[in-house]
Amino acid sequence: MGAFSLITDAERRVPRVVVVGLASCFGCQIQITNAEPYLMQILGQIDLQYWQLVTSEDMPDEFDVAIIEGAVTTREAEQTVRAVRERAAHVMAIGACATTAGVTGMAAPGLGGRVGEVYEGAAPESSGELIEPRPVSAVIEVDSEVLCCPIDPMDFVAALQRVLFGSNRLPDTRTLCSDCKRNETECFYNDATLCLGLVTRAGCGARCVNLGRPCNGCAGLSPDANVEAARMACATYGVDVAAFDKALEMFNQVNPALAESGDE
Amino acid sequence: MLYRVMDKRELPALVRAFMESYEVVAPVKRGSGYVFDVIGSPDEIELDYTQTDASPKKYLMPSTETLMRFDAQMNLVDDFTEQVTPRVVFGVHTCDINAMNRLDIALIEGKYVDPYYQARRDATMIIGISCVPGDNCFCHLWGADEAQFGYDLFLHDIGDKYLVSMSNVEATNILEAACEISEATDEDRIAFRQATRARQAAFNKDIPDVQDVAMLMDVFHSDPFWEELGSRCLSCSACASVCPTCFCFDIRDVLAPDGKTGERVRTWDACTSPGFAAVTGGYNFRPTGRERVRHRMYHKLNGFFVNHDRMLCVGCGRCVKACKTGINPIEVLRFFKRKGADHAK
Repeated sequence: MGAFSLITDAERRVPRVVVVGLASCFGCQIQITNAEPYLMQILGQIDLQYWQLVTSEDMPDEFDVAIIEGAVTTREAEQTVRAVRERAAHVMAIGACATTAGVTGMAAPGLGGRVGEVYEGAAPESSGELIEPRPVSAVIEVDSEVLCCPIDPMDFVAALQRVLFGSNRLPDTRTLCSDCKRNETECFYNDATLCLGLVTRAGCGARCVNLGRPCNGCAGLSPDANVEAARMACATYGVDVAAFDKALEMFNQVNPALAESGDE
Repeated sequence: MLYRVMDKRELPALVRAFMESYEVVAPVKRGSGYVFDVIGSPDEIELDYTQTDASPKKYLMPSTETLMRFDAQMNLVDDFTEQVTPRVVFGVHTCDINAMNRLDIALIEGKYVDPYYQARRDATMIIGISCVPGDNCFCHLWGADEAQFGYDLFLHDIGDKYLVSMSNVEATNILEAACEISEATDEDRIAFRQATRARQAAFNKDIPDVQDVAMLMDVFHSDPFWEELGSRCLSCSACASVCPTCFCFDIRDVLAPDGKTGERVRTWDACTSPGFAAVTGGYNFRPTGRERVRHRMYHKLNGFFVNHDRMLCVGCGRCVKACKTGINPIEVLRFFKRKGADHAK
């Protein structure tokens, strides 16, 4: 996340924004519309040139900020994000698919065989040339990210404002458990229940836990996650370590850190 | 210090009297544990709690609070005064009272006063209560099993009655108006002494009592133990969130959705957060769990002691439960004990 502002006194221009959708459920784009009470205010701060969800037109050639939802799953998508990178001053990846490859990432191991499970023979031409799903950051440099599946509308608004007005805030890499302590919710591990908060990036405020559900890791593995220690914690608290590893796959299948930490 | 005796059956009357002019928070049951929360009736209070999962420091220093509001377009700070709720924290153990006294040292008694903390501290009455230690408690090792000051009333459980230490006129007036109180008898004094002895005898003897801990922290500063302990850190800072004496914070400016106005917000931060010691240029001078965990223990068991003559750890034992990989001061004490045994060979 660069400490820069697109709006400078020298060159004051309303930033031109495009919203691009790759392989995803498009739910994160929908989530943007769920910032409903503030949508007009937000649109007043940008020049929205293209929003894939709501248009059949082609993306314009010139823009300042590109917001990308979805994972890169085809060669065509790879070319799209590269082209976006060349044009955009700022690229923001939103949602689990764009930031971790998300649920689509689960298809990565043995991709070729999986195509045959879905289609008779090869995938249809309209699917494009399939590649192992990957986050946008695996293809191009990403300037900022909005995590989770789906994104929180107000997280998105805050992230967009950091792009518009500048911010020197470093992304937080703390894992989730301290949020549960702040919320004073009971730890699932005390009840031998699997929860991925041990290794998942904080920032969501532990909203699933607040609703009585364990964290399923949609914010992705923290860059500072200690997976080995988390496995040890599972063993200590009577949670199946293999189940922990399996659960991590939903949002972290293609995370190189997991491959390094010794996939059983 | 003034002492009086009150009958335990009068406790609800005392709580109700406080509720007339204060928001009363007290330990209540939640799930399998206890939390400090606002009560609507004295019946909700669980005074037999061993320990709450999180500490009452949240009433003096909330996990998130607004420091000021600003107009980003005009580059102006608006007048802003946080409304502080006059509050009684009822049923606080000695560890937490001692913890608040330590927060006072850091946030009020130093060169720079934290006005936000002070406003809450001034508006908060503390009603202490004696306790029986649980398995994770080690307040006695740091002299935090007794509260010498920092409360308004302290209720010592002496069977059917409380021996009440009174150190605040307003709280005493409320007590006297709400309850029949009497002079302590010899019988009460004997009961008090017995209760104190019973508490002292109830501490978990598996937690080693090590002398010169602050000194040992320096002596074993480079021991491989810190690598072993720190390598288990999950980087979650659960320890700091539940700790009654962790007071580090981060300050963030948060814009309103219209981008025109905003708030400067303070949130809890912790030296165990990976980015806590990251500085301009991208350098992080505590880059791994080893440095971060060691630093945290140093502040608790060495740094604060050297400067203020008491440990920043009060032995409340909350981090023992909160940390899922077993990083806590007891492990440090066990390490020192092992070292002592090794060296005696």
